[in-house]
Amino acid sequence: MLVLKKIEKLAAFTLVGSLLMVGCGGADSSDSAGSSSAASEATAMENPVDPSTAGNIVGSVAFEGSAPAMDAIDMSGESVCANKHSGTPMVQTVVVNDNGTLSNVFVYVKEGSAIDGMQFPTPSAALLDQDGCVYSPHVMGVMVDQEITIRNSDGLLHNINATPTEQRGFNSSQPVTMETSQDFGTPEVMIPLRCDVHGWMTAYIGVLTHPYHSVSDGSGDFSLSTLPEGDYVVEAWHEQYGTQSQTVTVTAGGTADVTFTFSADMANAVVPMGTPVDLHDHSLVTDQQ
Amino acid sequence: MSSAIPVGDSHSEDHHDLGFIRTYIFSTDHKMIAKQFLVTSLLFLALGGMLAAMIRWQLGFPGQPLPFNLGAILPDTMAPGGIILPEFYNSLVTMHATFMVFFALMPLMAGVFGNLLIPLQIGADDMAFPRINMLSFWITPVAGAIMLASFFVEGGAAGAGWTSYAPLSTSGEWTGVYLGQILWLVSLIVLGFSSITGALNYVTTVIAMRAPGMTWFRIPLATWSLFVTAWLLLLAIPILTGGLILLLLDQTIGTAFFRPEGSGEPLMWQHIFWFFGHPEVYILILPAMGFVSEVIANRSRKPVFGYHSMVVAIVAIAFLGWVVWGHHMFQSGMNPFLGMSFMATTVVIAVPSAIKTFNWIGTLWKGDIHFDTPLLHAVSFVALFVIGGLSGIFLASAPVDIYLHDTYFIVAHLHYVLVGGSLFGIFAGITFWYPKMFGRMMNETLGKLHWGVSFIAYNLAFFPMHNLGVQGMMRRIYDPNQYEFLQSLQSTNTFISKSVFVFVSVQVLFAINFFWSMRKGKKAGDNPWDSNGLEWACPSPPPHGNFAEIPIVHRGPYEYSYPGREQDFWPQNEAPVESFGASTKPEHKPGE
Repeated sequence: MLVLKKIEKLAAFTLVGSLLMVGCGGADSSDSAGSSSAASEATAMENPVDPSTAGNIVGSVAFEGSAPAMDAIDMSGESVCANKHSGTPMVQTVVVNDNGTLSNVFVYVKEGSAIDGMQFPTPSAALLDQDGCVYSPHVMGVMVDQEITIRNSDGLLHNINATPTEQRGFNSSQPVTMETSQDFGTPEVMIPLRCDVHGWMTAYIGVLTHPYHSVSDGSGDFSLSTLPEGDYVVEAWHEQYGTQSQTVTVTAGGTADVTFTFSADMANAVVPMGTPVDLHDHSLVTDQQ
Repeated sequence: MSSAIPVGDSHSEDHHDLGFIRTYIFSTDHKMIAKQFLVTSLLFLALGGMLAAMIRWQLGFPGQPLPFNLGAILPDTMAPGGIILPEFYNSLVTMHATFMVFFALMPLMAGVFGNLLIPLQIGADDMAFPRINMLSFWITPVAGAIMLASFFVEGGAAGAGWTSYAPLSTSGEWTGVYLGQILWLVSLIVLGFSSITGALNYVTTVIAMRAPGMTWFRIPLATWSLFVTAWLLLLAIPILTGGLILLLLDQTIGTAFFRPEGSGEPLMWQHIFWFFGHPEVYILILPAMGFVSEVIANRSRKPVFGYHSMVVAIVAIAFLGWVVWGHHMFQSGMNPFLGMSFMATTVVIAVPSAIKTFNWIGTLWKGDIHFDTPLLHAVSFVALFVIGGLSGIFLASAPVDIYLHDTYFIVAHLHYVLVGGSLFGIFAGITFWYPKMFGRMMNETLGKLHWGVSFIAYNLAFFPMHNLGVQGMMRRIYDPNQYEFLQSLQSTNTFISKSVFVFVSVQVLFAINFFWSMRKGKKAGDNPWDSNGLEWACPSPPPHGNFAEIPIVHRGPYEYSYPGREQDFWPQNEAPVESFGASTKPEHKPGE
């Protein structure tokens, strides 16, 4: 009996030991949780730019030439998604608006000594939705450490495979209607996202250390507001037509007007991806004049 | 009427002086180490079973929250709202197989029974290197803790499958798992030392410490199979460890042994892994064959049919196991002529396997069969191993394998070998040698109930998987309903899942029986099965040092129902009447 009792003690010891070892693994400390906390602290930070002395940049992205015909997406295998589209869903690579402008162009401040070194508060979470088996928005910008709420509104399996080059990516899945949070800790323009289940689903995210970014809308318009006065290199990025840059001077209380023009001839342009953004690099100020 | 030589250095005298820690924790006694392995590996077996149940929940009820609010204990990175995420599913299949293969079946086979049986069956007082033996055990929980910890790191546990194919395993970019994959590698590297040190002990002990008269062909088949398995471990584990180290270097310091982007060769990983991996299959099945041989001979009260051919078959299977690894890689683009030679060597393995199967049947034939729990498990092993072996013949044929590769047919095949074969063999072994380990019998009613429900539920779960595979359902797939042509299989998947839940649940009966019998089971006595082996010639449980006197072996281990004897068994150490009192020199008849 003594031996039996001791064997029981041994069993209990092994069990407790194993549980302790499991416990020592520690709790999950996901990036998103950590960055949420960081985001709350950052939200409390004041914007370093004095609105009374700030200016704005507004503009549009024009498109010249014949708009290329985009392929129709065959969603017949996903009736839930197909039913969400009134017409035939089209690939979103090139979206030319009725007024001859170009949508989904990411416009951002690439260089600018006036904001160099400034610490900006992190905005609240940005939303990336998967609705009708397409990403909405197709192109978006966020700040470093800004939470990105990724929503699955379709209720069927999507995965979000982000493949940055300057930082670790993620490949998370959403089998049902749900939301998850992600963020990026390093500035990078642009980061491609794709769904491996639905090969047509692609999106691009630009990550910056500042809030001066915009995406041309259904009218081709964009705006960058509340910039300190100074000279900036503003770049426009498109997933097929590459990039264009302009030097823009912002004056206190003024609004600079900028127009970028992409053309059908640029279809074979080199599209930079995963470019680190360094506000210290001023070489382009002269190059792009 | 037994014969023995007095033990000069009796271990039993100092047994009570060791204290609790050295007796039960850091013990060098092979029997206590066997029990430590038993408790640890049964815990990992339970964990692996729970992971299997979660896998089957996802396949049976895709997209539905885990039942009983189990999702509440899992973080959102695994199962938000109780719904298993695909990346967690990848970890589940990877870790299920990892725990089952490396932390449950291997320790149960080699760690438990190697430690328990080898010294007892050959008449030794302990292992050749008791301290190394202790080290061999204590490496296991350390490796297990590392592996378990991987569930709790960012990105979760490894998700590249237990085969960890490169380049999927060389970078977290593909699976989303970074540190978890590294911990998987480190854990298995550490665990390899446990296997190597254990195997070194087994080989040395069998060669050097056999009792007088224990000639090679008087060694019981359980020890024969464990001895051959130890050689496989000694030769195979370093190959895996080498590969794991190279993969770890690829993961951590940017080497490119297996990464194609650095001019590495992903296929080399497959060659290394399967050069270890196929002998590993025999590491997981050969000991069970040995246990089953013992049980069938004992419970049918007949000598093992063709003892010598059984030994030769064990060695032949182990040898052929080294030249068949390519049959796992028919789809890797290998030269078809090479594939054909692997196909031929693989089919040849059917010969020694068939020898064993027919010998088991021959042993049972016209025997005085006692249908108690160990025999039921042993006979189940034979039946299920035959099914697993036959499906293996299908897969050994390259043209058929091209169609069935990476489908659920493979899942069915490997589970018929490793659950139907190995696990039922382990159950046969545990229920047979339990009285020797703990001095009490397991409850027969509970034992038979556990066997019956397990056998039925097991077959209901795994046999339909053959059909799933033929229909094209891929292994490791998260949700087959993503493919229209697989949607019609959902009802089968649900049925399989329910059967698995029954199979997993009924193991609770075994656990209850296991622990209840320790205290309440009928006292066993030294030799409850009227068996011949030396392990039954010492008390149950045996004291430290095992034998008061070194036994002398006079005959083989399977002299059951020997003509002219009053008893239907004839212990190996029982002196022949004609030489009794005249000489201790062992005789070599009958059944050497």
